[in-house]
Amino acid sequence: MTDAARERLQVRLPLFAVSGVAWLLLATRPHAMHGTTVSARVTASALMFAAMMLPMIGPPLRHVRDRSLARHRLRAIALFAGGYSLLWIAAGVALILAANSIGAIAATFLAVAIWQCSPLKQHCLNRCHSHATLSAFGPSADRDALLFGLRHGLWCIGSCFGLMLLPMLLSRGHLAAMAIVTLWLAGERLETPAAPRWQLRGPGKTLRIIAAQARRSMAFVFSARL
Amino acid sequence: MATYTRTNVYANGGTFSDPTILWYARGVKAMNARKLADPLGWRFYAGIHGFDRPMWTALGYLKSADKLPSSALQKRFWKQCQHGSWYFLPWHRGYLLALEACIRDEVVKLGGPKTWALPYWNYFGPNNENQLPPAFASPAWPDGKTNNPLYVKQRYGPNDDGNVFIPLDQVNLNAMTVPEFTGVASGGDPGFGGVDTGFEHGGSPHGDLESQPHDYVHVFTGGSNPQNPNLPGLMSDPDTAGLDPIFYLHHANIDRLWEVWIQSTVSQGNPTQTSWKNGPAGSGERAFSMPLPPTGTPWNYTPGQMADLSKLDYTYDDVTSAAEAPELAALAGATPARKPAMATKKKKKVELVGASQESVRISGSHQIVASVQMDERARGKVSASLAAASAAESASAPDRVFLNLENIRGLVDGTAFKVYVNDRLAGTIALFGVRKATVAGGEHAGQGITHVVEITKIVDELNLRNELDVDALDVRIVPAKAVPDEAQVTIGRISIFRQEQ
Repeated sequence: MTDAARERLQVRLPLFAVSGVAWLLLATRPHAMHGTTVSARVTASALMFAAMMLPMIGPPLRHVRDRSLARHRLRAIALFAGGYSLLWIAAGVALILAANSIGAIAATFLAVAIWQCSPLKQHCLNRCHSHATLSAFGPSADRDALLFGLRHGLWCIGSCFGLMLLPMLLSRGHLAAMAIVTLWLAGERLETPAAPRWQLRGPGKTLRIIAAQARRSMAFVFSARL
Repeated sequence: MATYTRTNVYANGGTFSDPTILWYARGVKAMNARKLADPLGWRFYAGIHGFDRPMWTALGYLKSADKLPSSALQKRFWKQCQHGSWYFLPWHRGYLLALEACIRDEVVKLGGPKTWALPYWNYFGPNNENQLPPAFASPAWPDGKTNNPLYVKQRYGPNDDGNVFIPLDQVNLNAMTVPEFTGVASGGDPGFGGVDTGFEHGGSPHGDLESQPHDYVHVFTGGSNPQNPNLPGLMSDPDTAGLDPIFYLHHANIDRLWEVWIQSTVSQGNPTQTSWKNGPAGSGERAFSMPLPPTGTPWNYTPGQMADLSKLDYTYDDVTSAAEAPELAALAGATPARKPAMATKKKKKVELVGASQESVRISGSHQIVASVQMDERARGKVSASLAAASAAESASAPDRVFLNLENIRGLVDGTAFKVYVNDRLAGTIALFGVRKATVAGGEHAGQGITHVVEITKIVDELNLRNELDVDALDVRIVPAKAVPDEAQVTIGRISIFRQEQ
C-alpha cells in the first residue's frame, strides 16, 4: 500500500466505523426515523447524516488534518466536523419535515430528476472538491476550520438534498432505498469536476466505479491472504 | 533487440540534414492535412492531450468551418492528459508510442524508413543543446518553401521574443536523485513519478520530474504572446501544448529520463501496486485509449503495460545512468547525498512546520517577500533530527523539509518564478496547467495548483549556522519574467513541511 493510500485509510476507517454503527442502529431500530418530537427528529437526522454522509467527508477532513499544525490538528478537525455536522443535521431535520408534508410524490420524484440534471447541481458537486486555504496559527486557524466545515456542508447539502429526500417518500423499503441513494451519491462525489451544464445524469458512472472498487477490494483481500 | 531507436535530435546538428527530422516534418505535414475530426490527424492528436474551444479559436487552430469530432470520439479519446498523479509518466509513454506510430505510418506511405522513431530533445546536452533545434526555428524547409510544419509562430521562448532556449540556471535534474516513484499529497515529497491520487482528481502536486524539468520546459518554450499576454505560446498551456511539434520531442526526453532513473542505482523502481498497474480504468474511470493507424482503431493500454521498456520494442540511443552522465552529475549537486535507499514499508510521517498568514499576489516583476511563521515544537523536531543524523556513527536520516506553495491560481499559463528561502535559491516553479486548475468548472474545482520544492539543504545550512532557531523564515518570490496583471496570479499560502525518514 502506498503512503498516500495509507493516509486515506487512516481517515476513512473511523468514518466508516461510525457510519457502520449508524446503519446498524437504523436497521435494528426502524422507528428511529419516525419520531415526532424535536429531539426525535434531530436524532433521526443525525443517524441519517452519520450513515449516509460520513463516508464521503474523507477528502476535506484529510485536507484539514494535513494542513494543520500537529498541536491544532484535533481541534481543527473537531471544528470542521462540528460545523459540517451541525449544518447538515439542521438541514436533515428540514428534509424530514418536508418529506412528511409532501403529498405529490410522483411530482417530487420528477422535480428531483430535473434537479439532478441541472447545471446548479453540477456546480454544487464541483464545489465539494474545493478545499479552502487554512490559516495555521491563532484564532484564524480555528475560524478557517469552522468556516470550511460550514461551507463544505452547504455545498454538500446542495449536491445531496434532492436524492436524500426520495427514500423518505416511500411507504416501505426505506433502508434499502437509503443504501442505494448512499451508493449513488458516493459515485457522484467521486466524479471529476466538470463544466456545469444541463445533462442526463444516470448511475452509469456510479455503477462502474463501485463495481471496479468492489473488484479491487476483493483482489486486495485475496492478495492479503497470500 | 528493439526495432525502434529514438535518437538525440542534435545527433546531426538538429537541422534538416538529419533524415529523422526531415521525415518527422513530412509526417507532421501529412497529419496536418487531415481534418480536425479525423482520429489520425494532427489536431485530433493534440486534442487527446487537451482542448479548449476559445483558446484554439483565438490561436487560429479552430475555424468556424471545422467540424468537431463526434461526441463519442471526444468522450473516448479527447482531454485525457494525466497530470499531477502517478499516471503522468505511463500515460505520456503510450501517447508518444501512438503519435509515433501515426507519423511512421505517414512516413512509410511517403517512401520513408520503416524504422523511423521520434527524436528527443535533451536540453541538458553539452553543446548548446538547450537551444531550440534549428529545424524547428526555421520557417522554411531546406528548399526555401516557408511552410515548415515544425516551425510554430506561437513559440515565444523565455523572454517572449521568439528566441527559444531553456535557461539552464532555472532547470534542474534534482528529481533524478529521488528514490521513490510514488509520493504523497500531504505536503511531503510528491515522488519522482507523482502522487497516488486514489479516486481524487486535481489538487495533488506535480511529481518531481513533472515539476522539473517538465513543467518548466513547457512554459519557457511556449512563453507568452508579447502583444497579448493573455494568449500563451502553444507549449505553455496543457490544452494547446500538443499542437506544437516540439511537444513530442520534449516528452520523449522526459520519457527517456524515466528510463535513466529506472536504470540508476538510486531508484527503487516503478510502483508494484495493482492500482497503478491497472490505471484509472481499474477504478471505473475512462481507459487510456489512442487511435492507431491505419484506420484509427482504439488501442487501450494500462500503466502496467508501459512499465518495462524492453517489452515495448523501442529504446533510446543513450540512457546513461544519472551517476555517469556528466551533465546530470553536475546538476545533481543541488540536493544533499542521501544514504543508500532501503525500500521501507514504514510510512514517513509528514507534518506542517510553518505557514504564512496571508495570500500573496504576484504581478509585474515585483518581488514578494512572505514571512513563513514557524511552530516552535515542529521546528524543534527538525533541528533534533538534523542533530541526530550528524552525530558520529548515526544510522538515522535527517528530516527532509519541503516548501509548499499552496493554491497557486492564475488565469494564464506561461509564468514562472524563482523561490528563495532566507536569500538562498530553493528552486524555480513554472505554472503549467494553472489556468485549467483555476477555472471554476475545471478539474481542480478552482483551487489552483500546489507546488512542492525541497529545501532540506537550505534548512541544513541554516541549522549549521544557528539561523534555524527563529520565529519565521523569509520566502522571496521573484518572477522569472514580468507577470501580466491580468493573469491575477496569487498564492494562497506558503508553508513548510517536515517528512520523517
